Amino acid sequence: MLDANAQETPLVQMSEIYKHFGGVHAVEGVSVDLYPGEVVGVLGHNGAGKSCLMQILSGAMIPNGGEIYVNGQEADLKSPHDAKKHGIETIYQTLALANHLDAAQNLFLGRELKTRFGNLDEARMHAEAQDALRQLNPNFKNLKDPVAKLSGGQRQVIAIARAIYFQAKVLIMDEPTAALGPSETAMVADLTLRLKDEGIGIFLISHDMHDVFDLCDRVMVMNKGRNVGTFRIEDVNKDDILSLIIKGTLPDGWVPRGESK
Amino acid sequence: MSNTNGNTKLRFLPTGSSLHKLSALLTLLLLILAFSFTSPAFLSVNNGLTVLLQTSVIGLLAIGMTLVIITGGIDLSVGSVLALSGVVAGLAIKAGVPVMPAMAFGILAGAFCGFINGLVITKLRITPFVATLGMMMIARGVALQLTGAAPISRLGEAFGQLGNGSFFRIVEMQANGFPKVIFPGIPYPAVLLVVMALIGGFLLQRRQIGRHIFSVGSNEEAARLSGVKVDRTKIWAYTASGALAGLAGMVLMSRLVTVQPNEGVMYELDAIAASVIGGASLMGGVGSISGSMIGAFIIGVLRNGLNMAGTSAFIQQIIIGIVVIGAVYIDQIRNRN
Repeated sequence: MLDANAQETPLVQMSEIYKHFGGVHAVEGVSVDLYPGEVVGVLGHNGAGKSCLMQILSGAMIPNGGEIYVNGQEADLKSPHDAKKHGIETIYQTLALANHLDAAQNLFLGRELKTRFGNLDEARMHAEAQDALRQLNPNFKNLKDPVAKLSGGQRQVIAIARAIYFQAKVLIMDEPTAALGPSETAMVADLTLRLKDEGIGIFLISHDMHDVFDLCDRVMVMNKGRNVGTFRIEDVNKDDILSLIIKGTLPDGWVPRGESK
Repeated sequence: MSNTNGNTKLRFLPTGSSLHKLSALLTLLLLILAFSFTSPAFLSVNNGLTVLLQTSVIGLLAIGMTLVIITGGIDLSVGSVLALSGVVAGLAIKAGVPVMPAMAFGILAGAFCGFINGLVITKLRITPFVATLGMMMIARGVALQLTGAAPISRLGEAFGQLGNGSFFRIVEMQANGFPKVIFPGIPYPAVLLVVMALIGGFLLQRRQIGRHIFSVGSNEEAARLSGVKVDRTKIWAYTASGALAGLAGMVLMSRLVTVQPNEGVMYELDAIAASVIGGASLMGGVGSISGSMIGAFIIGVLRNGLNMAGTSAFIQQIIIGIVVIGAVYIDQIRNRN
């Protein structure tokens, strides 16, 4: 049921994570791991706790219990800043862009490049941002416009560029294609596979079964705050996953699909 | 990068903002033109310097106010903090502290009030409006309590230097033994305002703290997720606003050579008006020091010109109220486009 490469040190290991808000248990004792060059799909209903779990890993939320290990070392992720220091980058569903700032200013927000005197190095940030954005989308223009004026696709490209520019080791993608058209969705899929080849570990939150089966090596399904199963993608089919998402259990008489072939 | 002319400063803002600033500048010029017709004495070197002097206090407050407004907050306490800072400096002088360190104490007291504002807003999660409204009453109460509501006078000539002194003052002794002022000089407060405005603009446009101030006002959650220390940034802005209120207090009290614990009432409204007229958005994320300076001078010129034309103080309030509403209305039209 679990992965084949268990002898390696996982890139990320989340162990027995708990998070509750008052009486609401959003995440209850969830454990999950991620290996280099692997894409793990994180699936579940709205409110199943998947975004909450990922926000804990990205430092945006502090868990009530549990440990997180990065490269086998326990990591204390108190803020997004801490997570970034461990090489954990996130593409948020909301994109987390400041509307009044332009592309370069957003890309380097919180990690501004500075000159020798500690002033903002606008020229260098602009040039670097231009390179990074053009790699993802050769037609990227309006670098000096505030991002409020850009299209959904362009905004998404900025959010992606921001995550990969700083040499992420772990990438969390929260519904990266929800706001995109078909060609841009294909671009994100290509990018995901390219990053995977570079040895980056990726957590992919998605509702799109196509994406999940095309991109993921493993899937982890959450239901009511619990991890109801982690499977190699070959071992499950769409119905199995839907059953896990909706009922929290596998269909009766399930056997690993990969082995039955 | 290119030199620091107006255009590179505007680059930060949506293009509508530069338009707004331009229209504010135009308004200022029109006002000056109109007032020079209504009163012949308006357009003179002496009166120009008087306007500079009168505007310097509002201008200093408006610099801090702009920083706070860009973070999406507001600081209603600056008028009271100004008075408290003056009282602290006055009491220090009375206790035998020399003028310069005493004034430093006063400014520190202002910065401390701003720091408390920042802490209350970020740690107790109280909205800026309520937190600084509380500080407005607390600072005023402390100032009145410390002095028993009585002014502190006889602070010595040195205390009056900052508010009344000037650079390049040319005085000639006449044959009859009376001095004649050829050029009244550039008042220290005006120079201080220019220096502080340049520093403020530099911090806002060229330094990380300025970038973070804009990001916090633009989208606080995005700033936090990007690794910006949101609380620290806000505390910084409120502390700067408090320190500038303290500095404005020194200028004002020094000009009167007396500490008045009930000075500065409603000054915060002039400072807010200056920022808003200069294009700062109360929703946060938009604003500039240069715009706020234009705004401060619009209010200064309006006050001075209406005085010179003999308009009553009550009518002045009505007019400035209308100007503020008009500026916000223009801002909203701009945002809709």
